[in-house]
Amino acid sequence: MTRAPNQHFTGRSVWMTLLAVALAISAVGVAQAAPFGAPSPSGGLVSQSGLVAWIFAQQAAFYRSLSGFIRASKDDGTAMWSLFGISFLYGVFHAVGPGHGKAVISSYLVANEETWRRGVILSFVSAAIQSVVAVIIVAIAAVLLGATAKAIGSTVHIVEIVSYVLVILIGLRLFYVKGRSFLIACRNWYEPAALAVAAAPSGHAGKIVFGPAANAFHCAHCDGDHAFHCHGEHDHDDHGHEHHASAWGHAHGPEPSELAGAGGWRRGLSAVIAVGLRPCSGAIIVLIFALAQDLFWTGVGATLIMGLGTAITVAAIATVAVSARQAASRIAKARSGIGMLAMRAIEVGASVLIVAFGALLLAGYMASEQLWMFTG
Amino acid sequence: MKRTRACALAALLLPLSIMRAEAHPHVWVTLHSEILYSADGAMTGVRHAWTFDDMFSAYALQGIHHAKKGQYTREELASLAQLNVDSLKEYAYFTFARADGRKLKFSEPVDYWLEYRNPELVLHFTLPLKAPATAKSLQLEVYDPTIFVDFEFAKEKPVSLDGAPAQCLLTVDLPHQPTPAEQLKLSQLDVTPLDASSAYGEIFANKMLVKCP
Repeated sequence: MTRAPNQHFTGRSVWMTLLAVALAISAVGVAQAAPFGAPSPSGGLVSQSGLVAWIFAQQAAFYRSLSGFIRASKDDGTAMWSLFGISFLYGVFHAVGPGHGKAVISSYLVANEETWRRGVILSFVSAAIQSVVAVIIVAIAAVLLGATAKAIGSTVHIVEIVSYVLVILIGLRLFYVKGRSFLIACRNWYEPAALAVAAAPSGHAGKIVFGPAANAFHCAHCDGDHAFHCHGEHDHDDHGHEHHASAWGHAHGPEPSELAGAGGWRRGLSAVIAVGLRPCSGAIIVLIFALAQDLFWTGVGATLIMGLGTAITVAAIATVAVSARQAASRIAKARSGIGMLAMRAIEVGASVLIVAFGALLLAGYMASEQLWMFTG
Repeated sequence: MKRTRACALAALLLPLSIMRAEAHPHVWVTLHSEILYSADGAMTGVRHAWTFDDMFSAYALQGIHHAKKGQYTREELASLAQLNVDSLKEYAYFTFARADGRKLKFSEPVDYWLEYRNPELVLHFTLPLKAPATAKSLQLEVYDPTIFVDFEFAKEKPVSLDGAPAQCLLTVDLPHQPTPAEQLKLSQLDVTPLDASSAYGEIFANKMLVKCP
């Protein structure tokens, strides 16, 4: 192409970066692996089907044994400890499958360049919120009000809708900020080439597509428009290090000290609250079953321990997502231009994932755990 | 310019391509089905008895008024039974029939009621076919494409024929792990989608086959 004079990347570096992008995104994708490894455009899931099917079968077996342990703990105190053990294992295995906002949390961590430690803590907080929400719904609706399954199902449905809308809003906010960073990186990537083209001898009048006008169009009028906080984008050209917009603040990326601050926690918490609001159908059913056996508190214990198991799996997946992102980031740092662009693309992709998850859940496309399937 | 567009597109589309819509089973149903025939040998419908697992039964019974602890009469459960069949309409009653490959349609359920066999709830209902069907090969399947409900045949006499012509032969096909051929079919679903009712959950369906030569 016409950019040859200023080519600052090689074919190999492009492939390395693409590989890193694929790694980061598939780490997020793990959360959505289908039981039985059913249809996937990539076809890659099919080979995992043995393991996924096994996990799927295990969690189903644990879930089905819960009722027996709950009944047994009525007369036998030691059965309660078995119940808690099974609840824990059920939580661990159950969270391997879809749902529980793992995908949203992982995407969020990838988009925001969070640390693994924060990823782990946020995973635990979201699982804790999820358990507590289930307990609160059942405590108020069933214990205090004696509501029917229909009323409880409707309540869960409303809470779900609120949760999905919040997820979409958080995703859109991230998309706005990250999309801008991407466009800036995009412009910085071919700006040198554009100058080269502009300076090139005439005779290609029709081909000057990298000129300033084209840049202004594609890069959202960053030049001189300080309302968009686009200052400082030239840093990327010179140093190739990471400066980018944070979700809730200014155009410059959060410094490590900033991440540890109260504001950093606030934006992380908004994401886990949005995700954690939606209670697990299984927890609601277990709690009501325990209540029917006059063992509500045993059910509460089992639910909280289930949440602990879930948190461990979610934290593990979040750690994989964060590590993949860090690996991609290391590769990207070695190549200015395209590497920076790829990192911004990962962030945009992750924010799009969050919006898409929220929208699909809201539309009912992914929300298959319909507690109201039989009870309206 | 093309490059910009391409990278923007890739960033947008790549994540979408890995999405999947799945669930975990939280309801287990043990299935008894009776395939109904008219006097002239045509299939007229199916009579189901679905036993819910004890945990879901407790969930469904939450807040239902009943006079005696541990007992629910058919009358006390009437409104819940109504709710069940109304809700199930959206899911086509999880019942899918084909006569010689041709899809059959069901009307609204009739004769439905709930029975409480402590600790389980049993939903009885009859699904009449819109038009009686005669076929050499009649296939009836019960499954939830989203796998939220896990259907399994009862161990004893899961399926029976009521009034079928004498030469008709019933076979019951249990759900199984996919064979390599099915696995391949599953992996190609996105490229060559089947018709609307053929979700991949069908492969794990409880199949009833009636052959009347």
